[in-house]
Order: sequence, then C-alpha cells, then structure tokens
Amino acid sequence: MKRVGLESSLAIAEAVRLAGVDVVSAYPITPQTHIIERIAQMVADGDLNASYIPVESEHSAMSGCLGAAAMGVRTFTATAGQGLELMHEVLPVASAMRLPVVMAICNRALSSPLSIWGDHSDIMAARDSGWVQMFAENGQQAFDLTLCAFRIAEDVEVLLPTAINIDGFHLSHVIESVLIPEQGEVDKFLPELPRPYVLDPRKPLTMGDFATPELYIEAKKSQDVALRNSKKVILQAWQEFEGVFGRRYSPVETYRADGASVLLLTMGSFSEVAMEAIDRLRESGEKVGLIRLRLWRPFPFEEFRQVASQADLLVVLDRAVSFGGPGPVCSEVQAALYPLSKKPQVAGFIGGLGGRDITTEGFEDMIRNARKKADAGRLGEVEIIGVRE
Amino acid sequence: METLALYVPRLLEKKENFAPGHRACSGCGEALAVRMVMKALGKNVIVVMATGCMEIISTQLPYTSWEVPWIHTLFENTAAVASGVVAGREALTRKGKASSRTKVVAMAGDGATADIGVQALSGALERGHDFTYICFDNEAYMNTGIQRSSATPFGAATTTQPVGKISMGQNTWKKDMPAIAVAHNIPYVATASPSYPFDLMNKVKKARDIEGPAYLHILSVCPTGWRTPSDLSVRIGRLAVETGVFPLYEVENGKYTLNIDPPQLRSVEDYLKLQGRFKHLTPEMIKEIQEKVEAKYAELVEKVLFYDGF
Amino acid sequence: MSKLTEIRWHGRGGQGAVTSAEVMGLSAIEEGKFAQAFPSFGPERRGAPVLAFNRISDSEHIRMRSAVTQPDIVVVLDPGLLGIIDVTRGLKEGGVLIINSSKSLLDIKSEFEGPWTLAVVDATAIAMEVLKIPIVNTAMLGAMVKVTGVVKLESLAEPLGERFGKLAEKNIAACRRAYDEVSIAAQGAVSQRPEKTFGEVTWPSWQELLPGGVVTDAGNARSYRTGDWRSDRPIWDHDRCIKCGVCMLFCPEGCVEQNEQGYFEANYYYCKGCGICARECWTQAITMVEEAKA
Ligand SMILES: Cc1ncc(C[n+]2csc(CCOP(=O)(O)OP(=O)(O)O)c2C)c(N)n1
Ligand code: SF4
Repeated sequence: MKRVGLESSLAIAEAVRLAGVDVVSAYPITPQTHIIERIAQMVADGDLNASYIPVESEHSAMSGCLGAAAMGVRTFTATAGQGLELMHEVLPVASAMRLPVVMAICNRALSSPLSIWGDHSDIMAARDSGWVQMFAENGQQAFDLTLCAFRIAEDVEVLLPTAINIDGFHLSHVIESVLIPEQGEVDKFLPELPRPYVLDPRKPLTMGDFATPELYIEAKKSQDVALRNSKKVILQAWQEFEGVFGRRYSPVETYRADGASVLLLTMGSFSEVAMEAIDRLRESGEKVGLIRLRLWRPFPFEEFRQVASQADLLVVLDRAVSFGGPGPVCSEVQAALYPLSKKPQVAGFIGGLGGRDITTEGFEDMIRNARKKADAGRLGEVEIIGVRE
Repeated sequence: METLALYVPRLLEKKENFAPGHRACSGCGEALAVRMVMKALGKNVIVVMATGCMEIISTQLPYTSWEVPWIHTLFENTAAVASGVVAGREALTRKGKASSRTKVVAMAGDGATADIGVQALSGALERGHDFTYICFDNEAYMNTGIQRSSATPFGAATTTQPVGKISMGQNTWKKDMPAIAVAHNIPYVATASPSYPFDLMNKVKKARDIEGPAYLHILSVCPTGWRTPSDLSVRIGRLAVETGVFPLYEVENGKYTLNIDPPQLRSVEDYLKLQGRFKHLTPEMIKEIQEKVEAKYAELVEKVLFYDGF
Repeated sequence: MSKLTEIRWHGRGGQGAVTSAEVMGLSAIEEGKFAQAFPSFGPERRGAPVLAFNRISDSEHIRMRSAVTQPDIVVVLDPGLLGIIDVTRGLKEGGVLIINSSKSLLDIKSEFEGPWTLAVVDATAIAMEVLKIPIVNTAMLGAMVKVTGVVKLESLAEPLGERFGKLAEKNIAACRRAYDEVSIAAQGAVSQRPEKTFGEVTWPSWQELLPGGVVTDAGNARSYRTGDWRSDRPIWDHDRCIKCGVCMLFCPEGCVEQNEQGYFEANYYYCKGCGICARECWTQAITMVEEAKA
C-alpha cells in the first residue's frame, strides 16, 4: 500500500486498472473526462489490458457496456450530467437484464442554463433505474467504492449495475492523498467471479426478450427483490474490504450522532464540510450530529431508521430539485420514517445547485433555520437556500 | 446464377437456427430473410437485435426462436451493443476463453438502421469493429403499424405519410443506406433479397468471414405493410430486382459488382401494381419513379464498369 | 343501474374483428347509447387469433375498464378458431353464441349447444359472393344484430359508410344478407356447457424466472403452435412434384420438410398457410385448400 497525491478522478482510473477491467466504453463530458482519459492512456501504454471503445455518444457508451457485460467480462464507464441523461433509456435495461456494469458518475447539474458544475440532479433523475447507487465523500472513498462496486455488481447473488457517485469538481478535480494498495491485495479482494448467464455459442441463450402482461410484473418483482437483497452482499463486501484494507463502510454512516437531538443528513462530498459545522456546534454545547447516506439504492431502511429515530429534528440537504415537489432525498427519508411511532420532525433544504458552494457557516445556518421553522410549525415547505434575492 | 440453384435446396443446410413457432405474419418476407441468414451464419455467432418486428415475433417470454446466443436491448443502439459484444469477445479471446472466430452479427429493421440508429451504426462502422450488420428493410416501421421511415419509397402510403386529399404518400426518395455504409470505407457492403436465396446466403457467409465491419441490406417484403397477398412475398422481391428498384450488388473494398444484371429491366409498374401501398399512384408518378429507378441503376452500372476497367 | 351488455369477438389478425367491434360501438353511440369498443391489446400479427370487445349500456357512461371475462354475447368470425380456442369460455347463461360456419345449425348443435342461444350463418359464403373476398366482419355484424337486437340494423349504416367509403354499399349488402340468412336455435333446455379441453399455458412464477428473464432453452418456440393461424393449407400433388425443394427453400416458417420418399410436406403444427410454396412451385404441384375442407 502506498500513499500518493492523486486527483479523485485518477484514483477511480487507478481502481479500474487494479480491478483489471476488460472493457471500457465511454464518452467524454466535464467533469468526468479525466477518468476516461487516464484509462485510455493506461490502455495505450499497455498498463491496462482492456478494450477501450471510444463510442460516439453516452447512449452508445452504456449500450456498449451492456454488450460487453453480456459477454461476462468486467465492464466500466463513467459519465456526468447530460451524459447520464442521454444514457437514461439504457440504464434501466442494464439493471433489468442483470448486467453488472460499473459506472462512476461525477455528479453535475442539468441544463438549462448549461452548467458544468456539481449537484445531484443527474443521479436523482436516474434514481429509479434499478442500479445499486452509492456516494463517496473523498478521494479515498472514490477509490475504495469503485473497487467494491465490482465486487458487489458481479456477485452471482446480485448481478446488478452499480454506480459510484462523486461530486463534480468538488471531488473529481481535487487532488488529495489516497492510499493505493498493491495488485495482490486487490486480487485477493476481487477475484474473477463466475457468471451464470453469458452470450456463448457453446451455451446459446436468449437475453432481453419481450414480455406480455402475463409476465412483465413477475420480471419486475424478481428485479426488485434482487436489488433489495443486494444489501446483504453489499454489507458482506464491505466487511471483506475492511478485512483486507482496514477501512470500513456502512450503508448509513454517522458523525457525532450519539445523543444528538438534531441530525443533519447529507450525501457526497459536502458531508465532510458538514462535519466541521457539527464540531463547531458541538463545541458550543449543541446536541447535533450528522447522518451521511452512503448507500442510496437499495435504500437502507433499517439502518437509517435506527439512527434517525433517535433525534427530534432531522435536517435534510438535497442537492437537486424535484420541481413542484419536495426534495428527492427529503421525500425519501420522510417516507422511511412515516411508519415509525417515534420519529423526528423533518426540515428539508435544497442547496449547492450548479456548483454553488455551501460553507460550514451555511450548514450552521441551516440547522438554526430548521430549529426556528420547527418551533414556528413551518416545516412543511422546502426552502432553497443561498439564493440571492 | 440463381436458376442453377433449382435442384440445390436439398443441399441446403437443414438445421433451422431460427426455429419455427415464431409469430411473424403469414408470408412475412423478413422472417424468411432471417431464416436464410441464420442458415448461412451457422452456430458460431452471437446475434444482437434491435427492437422491431423480428424481435417481437421471435422472443416472447418464455419462448425463443433462437438457436444461437441472442441479445436485444433497445431500438436504436444495436450497433453500439454489438461493439460491446465484440469488445467482450476480444477480452475473452485475450484470456483464451473465447474464439475470435465467433462472429457478432447485428440485425435491425430499416427504422432502427436508417433513422433512429444511424448514429450508433455510423459510429460502429467507423470504429472498425469486427462485426456484420444486417438491415432487414421492409421500408417502414412495421412493428408499430406501418409508419414511414426514411427508407420508405417515394409514393408509398404509410400511416404517418398517408394518402389524403392533398397528399400522395411518401414525398421523398428512399435513403440510400448502402451508400452511407460504403462511405465509411468498410471492407464489405452488399444488398440482398430472400427471393435470391443463394445469392443472399453467399453474401452472408462472405460478410461473416471478412475481418472488420460488413454491412448487408436485405429487402424484406412485408405483406401486411405493403398490402400484398401473403403468397406473393417472394415474387414481389424478385420483381424489385427485375425492375431495377432494388438491384443486388456488392461493394468489396470499394469495388462494385452487380450480382444479378437482367438483360433488360422490367417496367416498375409490374412491381408497383401488385402492392396496395402504391395503388393510388398516378401515371405521372409512376413515370417519375421509372425515371428515378433508371437513373439510379445507370449510376450503379457506371460504378461497376468503372471498376471493371481496371 | 342500467343493463350492461358485454360482447366478445373472436377473429384473426387482419380479418377485421376489431373493425366489427368498432362499428358495433359506434352504432350504439349513434343510437344514443353508451358504448366501448376495444381490442385485446397485444402484438398479434396477421393470422393469429385475436379478440375484440364491446360494452354497451342503454343509459349510463360505462366505467368498467377491466377485461371482459363473462360476455353476454360471443361472435366467432373464423370457423377455424372453433377447434383451437374455447369460444364459450365465460359465456353467461342465457347469453348468445353466434358462429360463422358453412355447417348447418343441426350439425353444429351437438358441439356448441349450451345454456345459451346458438346461431349460425355462412358468412364466408356471403362475403365471397358479395365482396369477393373472405372478410366476414360486416356480415357477422348483421347476423349478430338480428340475433341480439343490441342495436338496430339501420344504425349500422352510418358507421359502415364512414368506415368503408367506396366499399360501404357492398358491406352493407353483406350485412343485410347475413341478417336475413342467420339461423337461430331457440335456447333449449340444455344446461350443460360443452366439454372441451384446450391446452392451457402455465406461466412461470416470479421465482421461476431466471435473472434478467433469460431463456436458456434455445429454440423452445418449437413448442409454440402457429398452425392455428392457418385458414388454407398447402397440399402436395406427388405426381407433379419434381422434388426440387423450392417450397422448402422459400418457407418463412422453415416448416416444409422432406420425407423418406423425397417428397416435401408442411409441418402443420407451424404452417400458417401463407401460400408462398404454392406460388413458387415450378410445376404447380401445390394447391392451397381451405382448412375447413381439408
Ligand atoms: C426509443 C424508441 N422509440 C420508439 C420505439 C417504438 N418502436 C418500436 S419498433 C419501431 C419500429 C421498427 O421499425 P423497423 O426498425 O423498420 O423494423 P420493423 O418492425 O419494420 O421490422 C418503433 C417505432 C421504441 N421501441 N423505442
Ligand atoms: S408486419 Fe411485416 S415485417 Fe412485421 S411480421 Fe408482419 S409481415 Fe413481417
């Protein structure tokens, strides 16, 4: 294991190399491009023995991944923002056909106005595509979770495409220190797994058939159960990961949440900024803590409820707008809490859109603001914060 | 020559790799073409298919007509999926787990090829993957009920360019997809018709055995969409060739060959008059079509002669 | 609540069952009634058995939108369907069953008599005489109106006119002839439903589906019968056959096989009766014979 200074994008490329990916099918888009450029260079230099398909669109990028994954080989792509939107039609096909493609998404705002900067609008619009979806908060996690994604996606019990979300620019373009393991350690964690159903003339099979109403719903049920059940394998994979590399991941992670009456919930790189805010508030004696949602799909109901039900007030930051509705993460956690008899009140905020920064002060304000709203009984409305009036 | 094949059917590959029990319309020329293609390809292939008639009629869960590995994902991305399958095959070959002789064959209708999937196809041809792409051209979107495509011929009635008080059906000339394929400088482009089975099967084998991208364009009579009696599908396909409406030719590394060159082209009317989709045509329109067909045919002959000169 | 009449039409893709239902629905609406007309939503192709439905109510908007499972009236456009589909399935007691058949009422009675009114009309013969094509949907409309009275015969005229344009007159004529010629058996004392067993499809459960719905049994469509779609079948005349095999070559189903004597024959389990083999045969050794007469 060695400690190096590496941009998160390149850390992901490094994970792809160490995972010995067989096929990469990708199309450039800011802020993701560094990942695939680096992979292309690795292939050009012979450092990664993969077939790199320089496709003509993201739609084809994901389609190429489907084809390769159907052959049973390890498959990777990366995209962001508009690229994910153009892939939109293909994403649910990957999951429904149980093709374990791994994708890094450098989360980016959606046009229009055109913005190359970060927020979560892209992945939230792809939320229901049936993929395993997780969020990284720093370069190390981007690297680790990429390795884990292959382990999870390709498990015979799972066979589902898996996305690692990293914030565009805020993560993708930041150089920080990352521990890179030796090939041997990676191989130990990530052996080549058997694939039961692949395109092989020696064992012909038909994939991607057509279903009448008599069977479609059965197919969907089976897919949904597979995604829900994947959590078992995810937990196991993260446990194995800890065994080999010493770092631990969980579907719902917390920071100073013990005994907190107010909990803030974040996803992605802003979680670390939020930790700073929590420290400051704790120092001034406030009982506040943080929930970092690592696993977005399958939604970790149990783990989330266990942590969140302790608090009186849950403050949720969404980095995407569901126009005319509540924030997507907020509505999700509210739905998860609703059946509980003891549950916190929920305050939803939307912020950090299109690359707008949120500072520690911003998080402190958000928590204070939430308290005020709760006291005034005004929690029903979402509020977009940091907007110039 | 086709007629020499008269007694050959008994030498035909007996194995049906496209199994009966498929649900194509009675007399479907496209299903016939697929059947012949599958006979020629043999078993060492992987088929990637677009959404469309042939997909719907052959893979209704829990049934499949395919005796070879087969995958369908979407309508417009067949060439891209095929690129991925080729890349996957390469990766497996590197590890000694697959044979580079396994051919990847993409199949799609004219809508999936010339319209919505033309970008993915262009990308895949340009990148030079080792695969064969076959367009089954029935000259409209038949799976969804006879809507126009850019491959619909001039004058044909479709449900989205119907004949009306002020419209005479398709008002554009058929997009020349094989020419677009040729423009990608690929090693092999050919047109074929199931009315000329041995020519078709030879071309399929040629395409299969060539390294690099090959493009086949097969005219596939659709009795439902062309409003023709189901027993005429083969005859109409033959007339398309005999009238010069759909010449059978090959382009090998840029070199043109006419495979069936009738001493004299029949009048296009012989072809048009059998089809309900053309029944509204005026003599002027038929004349216009005749002239266009002759001009295009002459253009083709010129290309053939140009190469013969070498 | 006003009485709701539910109708099921049995036909084949391309034969016009859906048109029958449409014209019926429009005629009812024309009379000031409330009606629905809808097909079985699916990708059935030309020749395949299809269904179409009507709901008719005298006085109320119809809210029911789920499938019609217990029709009051069943109309069978294609006699060939009788042997392959349980056309009386769910038909209500006291309902009406109308069949297109060249057989007489007496002949058909033994098979289709039940706790309903049975009627027969040779709509194919009428259509061939009047329209010169075997499209029976308009004739069957006439027969059905006569037997059931759900709408008046006159009410069909306008929707038929709209629908058939230049051919309206002939279709109305076919309709009228069937109205006049249909033979109706009064509902007898029979309370027994005809006993028929048809192969039921068993669908897999969600647990039985393989991941992604893959099908590993390559070519298992072979167990799917498409021979049901046929209305004419090819018959080979061995005296004329030169054993060239052109028929085998051009069969879209791949269902023409060579027997031990070297002659060719269609596998009727699959043959859809397209007639390409008969058309392409060099020596005209193949004739297409109407299924019912074969
Ligand atoms: C993105 C998308 N748009 C539209 C459709 C609907 N659709 C399915 S098949 C088809 C037409 C197929 O036509 P063609 O490719 O010519 O094949 P054919 O059915 O005629 O063989 C259409 C429009 C679809 N499946 N996906
Ligand atoms: S609509 Fe045309 S192409 Fe499609 S199955 Fe029917 S005959 Fe074949």
